[in-house]
Amino acid sequence: MNLNEVVSQCLAGSQGAWRTLVDSFARRIFNMAYQFSGSRQEAEDMTQEVFLKLHGALPKYDPAKNFTAWFLTLAKNHLIDEYRRTKWERAQRDEFDERVLAQAAHDGPEASLAEKETKAFVWEGLHRLSAEMRTVIVLRDLQGHSYEEMAGMLGLPLGTVKSRVNRARIQLAHVLREAKGGTS
Amino acid sequence: MTCERIEELLSAYLEGELGASERAAVEDHLAACPACAELLAGLREVAGAMAAMAAFPEAEPSPALMARLYGIPERQAVKKSWFRPVFDFLTRPALQPVYAAFTVLLVALSFVLFHPEGQAIRNKIDIQFNRGVGTVEKLYAEAGALRGELEGFTDNVVKSFKTLDLLKESEDKP
Repeated sequence: MNLNEVVSQCLAGSQGAWRTLVDSFARRIFNMAYQFSGSRQEAEDMTQEVFLKLHGALPKYDPAKNFTAWFLTLAKNHLIDEYRRTKWERAQRDEFDERVLAQAAHDGPEASLAEKETKAFVWEGLHRLSAEMRTVIVLRDLQGHSYEEMAGMLGLPLGTVKSRVNRARIQLAHVLREAKGGTS
Repeated sequence: MTCERIEELLSAYLEGELGASERAAVEDHLAACPACAELLAGLREVAGAMAAMAAFPEAEPSPALMARLYGIPERQAVKKSWFRPVFDFLTRPALQPVYAAFTVLLVALSFVLFHPEGQAIRNKIDIQFNRGVGTVEKLYAEAGALRGELEGFTDNVVKSFKTLDLLKESEDKP
């Protein structure tokens, strides 16, 4: 079914159409929120907020636009705003193992212990970064946005975005080095 | 180039965004500076870990979350069902004059409370009030004095009548 049709049925009050929208996007939004927050609980709350926002914003959706792009922008903006507002420092982050368990399947058997350890350290370090740093590195390295897209999303000059990503990566590299120095 | 400058360029170097001359300068520095070379190795490891994490299969949202998401339209409708009547009541045209009067009152009040000359206005009101109180007190005192005089006068008249009665009695007794 065409998404625009689904949206117009939603606006007409169809429960089935709303379920279709939820089924089509819940997983994507939840994973995006998880990348930002690093906590399953918070990601669930964020996902609910995003869908609440979608429900309120549907009447304003212009069918001439691409619905997926429109909704993902709305979701991302909400997550970024929320991240800026709360700094997401209140809740505990999930342990890396929990994240791994939360994912259906991950590293193959060939992944060495050292590689897993590196990922765990980077995951830890990611949640020690400031809100600004974490936002840019998640957008760039986990979600694969271009610097230009990020500048538009965050309302920052291109140069600022680039240097922030660079500084975030350097901080992570230092965290990694310290962690490995501590374990070896 | 200094180490600080090299640090600034490392991401662009890894992403192949540097021009030929800058790239050569970075490579020269890295060959001579173990600290920066080590940092670059760290950045490569971070990049590898981030890429691996980005490639993780997506996690499934829990059934409880899905149930909450499915239920959003119903919950919003319930919210609207109590919210709407309250909203309609508050936005009735009949209440408009009340809001207008209230607004005027608030404006006047805020003028007195927050206007830079508000203190002067309040002082004037105080002075007028105190003057009024002073005048009333004065009138009250004058009234008290008048009452005293009247009482004195009444006493005198009573005494006079009594004296007159006594005189009459003595005249009647031959």
